[in-house]
Parts: sequence; C-alpha cells; structure tokens
Amino acid sequence: MSDAELATPFRQRADGAMKDAFLQEALTIATTKFIGLRRDAFAGFPEGEALRDQARAIKEATLQHLDHHLETLIGNVERLGGHVHYAATPAEARSIIVDIARRTGARMAVKSKSMATEEIHLNEALEAAGITPVETDLGEYIIQLAHERPSHIIAPAIHKTKGQVAELFSRELKRPAEPDPEALTRIARGELREKFLQADLGITGANFAVADTGTVVLVTNEGNGRMVTSLPRVHVAVMGVEKVVPSFTDLMVFLAILAKSATGQKLSVYTSMVQGPRRAGELEGPDEFHLVLLDGGRIAQIGGPLREALSCLRCGACLNVCPVYRQIGGHAYGYTYPGPIGILLTAMLEGAPAVKDLAHASSLCGACVEACPVRIDIPRMLIDLRREVDDKKIAPWTERVAFKLLARLLQHPRLYRFAAKAGRIMQKPFASDGRIGRLPLFFGEWTRTRDLPPVASRTFQERWASEKDLQA
Amino acid sequence: MTTRAEFISRIREQVQKTPGRFSAASARRPQHPAAEADTIRRELAERWPETLEAFRREFEGVAGVFHRVATIDMVPAVVSRIAHEREARELVTWHSAALGADLAPALGARGLDVHPMPESEPGGVAERERLRAIAARADLGLTGVDLAIAETGTLVLVSGAGRPRSTSLLPPCHIAVFDRTVLVESLRQVGVLLEAWHGDGRPPAAGAAINFITGPSRTADIELTLTRGVHGPKEVHAIFVEQPIRG
Repeated sequence: MSDAELATPFRQRADGAMKDAFLQEALTIATTKFIGLRRDAFAGFPEGEALRDQARAIKEATLQHLDHHLETLIGNVERLGGHVHYAATPAEARSIIVDIARRTGARMAVKSKSMATEEIHLNEALEAAGITPVETDLGEYIIQLAHERPSHIIAPAIHKTKGQVAELFSRELKRPAEPDPEALTRIARGELREKFLQADLGITGANFAVADTGTVVLVTNEGNGRMVTSLPRVHVAVMGVEKVVPSFTDLMVFLAILAKSATGQKLSVYTSMVQGPRRAGELEGPDEFHLVLLDGGRIAQIGGPLREALSCLRCGACLNVCPVYRQIGGHAYGYTYPGPIGILLTAMLEGAPAVKDLAHASSLCGACVEACPVRIDIPRMLIDLRREVDDKKIAPWTERVAFKLLARLLQHPRLYRFAAKAGRIMQKPFASDGRIGRLPLFFGEWTRTRDLPPVASRTFQERWASEKDLQA
Repeated sequence: MTTRAEFISRIREQVQKTPGRFSAASARRPQHPAAEADTIRRELAERWPETLEAFRREFEGVAGVFHRVATIDMVPAVVSRIAHEREARELVTWHSAALGADLAPALGARGLDVHPMPESEPGGVAERERLRAIAARADLGLTGVDLAIAETGTLVLVSGAGRPRSTSLLPPCHIAVFDRTVLVESLRQVGVLLEAWHGDGRPPAAGAAINFITGPSRTADIELTLTRGVHGPKEVHAIFVEQPIRG
C-alpha cells in the first residue's frame, strides 16, 4: 500500500474492500480453506494442545532472559564467522543492509519472504541505492511486479486472480502468459532461477534463531529460502529480537505446531537451518553471513502492555478466523501486518495513534485466541489499546464525551431508568420496522453501517414486576 | 549506529521490569545428548520396520515417491528407470564417500551422464562456478540422507564436503538413498539428535546447512491452486535399502 492510500481513512479503505466482489469471494474461499486445513491438522495430532502450551511457556521463559539468550546467539554467530548488527529503528536496519550491499559490490539482491524486511521497507531503500531487489516467493514476486503490498501473512497475493497474474506477467515480463496457475508458476520458476544464479546478495528474515548454536531457521514451501541462503556470495538475515529460542529442543516444539497452524501441513516443505558462512570443504553457501537484529519498538514492549504479542509466530491463523479480516482483507488495515495480531504489531512498531481506528476493527469475539498456536490474548490487548487511544485523547472529542455519558448512565440505576424512558419517546421519529436505521448528528456514526435495535416499549424490569404480579 | 552494548542494555532494562504474568519454562534439554541419542537409536533398531512403514505413509502423503530395494547395488537400476521415464540423462551426485557407495560406474554403464561432486573443497571460484552450473542444468540429483523422520515424512540432509546443498535443490528431480540407520520416529527425537550433533556427539558432516525436506517444492500462491516444483524439485524419490549401506 502506498502512503497516499494510507492517507485515506481506515473506514474508506474497508468500504472499498467490501465493495470489491472478487476480493470478497477470494477472502471467503482462502480463509475458509485455511481454517479447514488447520482444524484437520490438529484433529490428527492429540499432543498438539500440550505443545501449544509448552510453546507459549518457552516464549515467555525466553523473554524473561532475552538479554542472555541474545548474547549467546551473538557469541555463537560470531564464533561461526558471521557478523551481527544492531538496528534500533527501521532506518538503521535499512542503512546497515544498504552498506553491506555497497561494500560487497552487490547489484542484485534475491529475497525470500520476510515480514521483517517488509516492515522496514527495505526494497525502496535498495532501489534508491541502485541495487535491484527481487522477491522470490511466488506470491511476493507477483505483488512486487504489481507494485503492491502483501494482503495476507502467508498468502501475499490472495487478492489476485489467475487472470490478473497472467496479464501482469504478459505486461511486465513481456512474454505470453496463460491464466493457468501451473503455467504461471513455470514462468516464474524460469525467471527467478536466473536471478538466483546471478544475484550477489541473498536477503531473508528468520522464523527462529537457536541461541546456543547460532542457527538461523527459515521455513518455506517453495525452496526459495534454500536458494537465497545457498547461492549468493553474501547472506543477510533480518530478525526481530523476539525470534530467538534457546535450544534445538525448544525449536522442535515450535516446528511441530507452526506449519499446522499456517497451512495445515505437518511441516512446511523446507526447514532450512543455516549456521554462519560456507565452511571448509563446502561447494556452496555464502562467503559472508550477516545477522541484523531489529528492535523497531519490540524492546520497549518486553516490559510493556503488548508483551504478549512478542510471542507471535507469524502463522496467519488469527487472520483466517477473524470476522473483520474475512470481510476487509489485509490491505484495508493499511500497515505491514494485517489482521488481529497485525493491529497489535502496528501499535508496537508505529505507536498507539496509528491504530486509533484499527483498535476498533475487531468484534472481540475471541476466535483469534482459539486459533493462535501460542494462545495470545489479542482481545485483551485490543481493549487496552482502545482505552489508551481514549485516554490520550486520540479519539475525537464527540466519541469520548458520548462514551463518558454512557459510562455515567450505566453506573447510576436511576439515571439509567430515566434515560430508557426518555429514549423510548425520543426514538419515535427514527424507529421504523422494529429498527433504528439512521440517527442524527454524530450519533449517525453508529448507524452508518449497522441498525440499532429500538428501546423496548417495556423494560425487562417492568415486565418482571408485572409477570410476578400475575403469578402471585 | 547502535552498538551491541547499547542494544543489549536496553533489553536488560526491560527484562528487569518483566511482569512475569504467564507461566514460563524452556523445554527440558537432554543432559547427555549423545548418550540419549544412542539410546534412541538402539530402541529404534528393534522396531525399524514399523518406523519405515510410518515414514512411507507420511512421505507418500506429501507426494514423495517411495522405492525399496534389497541392497545398494540395486539402486542404479531404480535411478536409471526414473531417468528413462523422464527422458533424462544428466545426473549430479554426492561424492561416493558421502553416499556410502560408489554408484557412478554402474549409473554410467546404464547410459547416464554422471557428475560426482568432489570430495574436498574445489580450488578456486572458477571451478566452483563450473560445478554449480552442472548442478543447475542436471535433470537428476542423487543424495544420501542423514535422518528420515516418520512423523512427518521428512528427509534431513546435512551439507558438507562431497555433499553440496544444490544436489537436492537445483535439479527438477531429487533422488535420496537411505537405510534403517537414519530412521527416527518423531520431531522430539530429532531434537535430541540435533543436540547431540552440536554437543557431545558427532554430526554426520561439517557443513553450515541442515535442510529438512518434506516432499517436493510447492506453492499455492495463485488462487490457492497447489502447484509443485516452483523453485526446488518437482519430484522427490526416496529409495530405501534393506541391507545397511555402510555394512
């Protein structure tokens, strides 16, 4: 999404998504399919529930000693001949990577799918420095050609039809392309194979890093992660500080649940573990290995209100089950990370004001907590964020006054009874067919997208009293 | 630029105010991983037929093609049949020391162009480029296997001298040869073995990459249509050799 698009309010972006008939259908099909695959995977895996609890406990334990585990990781990566860099901000991360590219004379960089590099807007920085970034995950490749951003964490081009992809390939690659997924995939294989073999620089994220062996772990289905870490002469991995796990024993717990939550596979096709640069005797592997540790707002949350979100594995399961995501898709959220967890991550990385609207883009139904492999309590933190947005007076004053009045009403029974009576009279001009379709003034915000049930002609308490009389 | 000291001290400051609201515990690691790994192997040695059957089921479930032969000498016949069916000729293979047997002469005799990878590091960039170009144009890649995981149908390959990463990656068809000694049941057991390789035990090879391969390369990025062979191999074959390869 471009900055211009981000300038349009969330409501308009969401409206646009809901009027896009293809997007609506694609979202329903994709999210429904992912939900089914995940359900089946865990249904055949009785130990899954205990492993989910264990995975969460490991994340917590790791956070409690994160300084120690990172120091172990750094020590081991350096012992293996790798270099470690420290990026407090996205700008710092970009400049570290651009410097590495310049110093090593890289002209082209192949990338495997990485949310962290999306988050720091690395491609733009590389381009500005005269280095061509090439996304190699098929979905990412498609949206890079289309100059768009990912709409789903694990299926970035979920919003495109095969017809649109064929048109895109014909136009951008200047070769005929049939609207057939198999044929389109073959074209991409050919185009990207060239790039893998030519590129000087390989850039990846990291799904995990194992501290006590200095291992960076990448999970992919296509094999691009293996290409990017094996063929170019320099490999740069960009990783949020929270991705570290202490040992291989811990790692296995996560591997056992990650792919099941994301795509319903028992394991993704490729789990690639890389330990520094090419060793003596090896034919392939990079001459140089760099690990960029990224803060970008994460560190402040270790002791902060969004701490739980630091356990996120980026599996996308919460997106698929979210009634809001299923309606509006990833782009409407406007930032790198969509869906329920995306709102929390956006608040973490961009600050609370960025989510003043998004914090309300949730029904708080709790489906995300159920789906999350590490059971992150997303609704609890969304409620806290709503409160924060309110306390910091980021929300419009009308909204704040309205909710203050409502709070007052709900705390005072006499006032509440009076208001109910008053409401019964005042609603008359607006209620028809048993619903209130439109309210005046700023109250209209409430009824803009939904009906309000009218205040009942008799309250429950009034009915209770009269029924009791009848019984007696 | 942020220094390591600044970065870590920011984290330490935060860690010290950790609220600790949730239960927390790292996984319990094996105390003597090499000894535990030996125990696992001993136990598995007694029930390998069940483990193999479970592996076959899962491997086929991820679109792998399973073959079974009695001895390593019978592997070239299977490989050449696979090659014939695909009208393929060029084959790259791990070095015989890494495979545990020298299959190149028998494969050559069956009409294949066999390119064994060198046992030690090739001298110079030009030679490395040449070998990589061979792997990039080969039709078939023949490798060994360091672990075969029954729970998930996964092949684990450790890189190193004579066992390049590209052999199982660049050719459109990957053929892996294994025996009962590499079979394990679960990811949990793999955890113990990985701990042993990096601790008081010995790794199968000294390279910098450990690759878990669970079936052929796949994507569903266009309209969720499952398509195989997007970057890695379109086909993965596993040939089980009943008689342990290294005797």
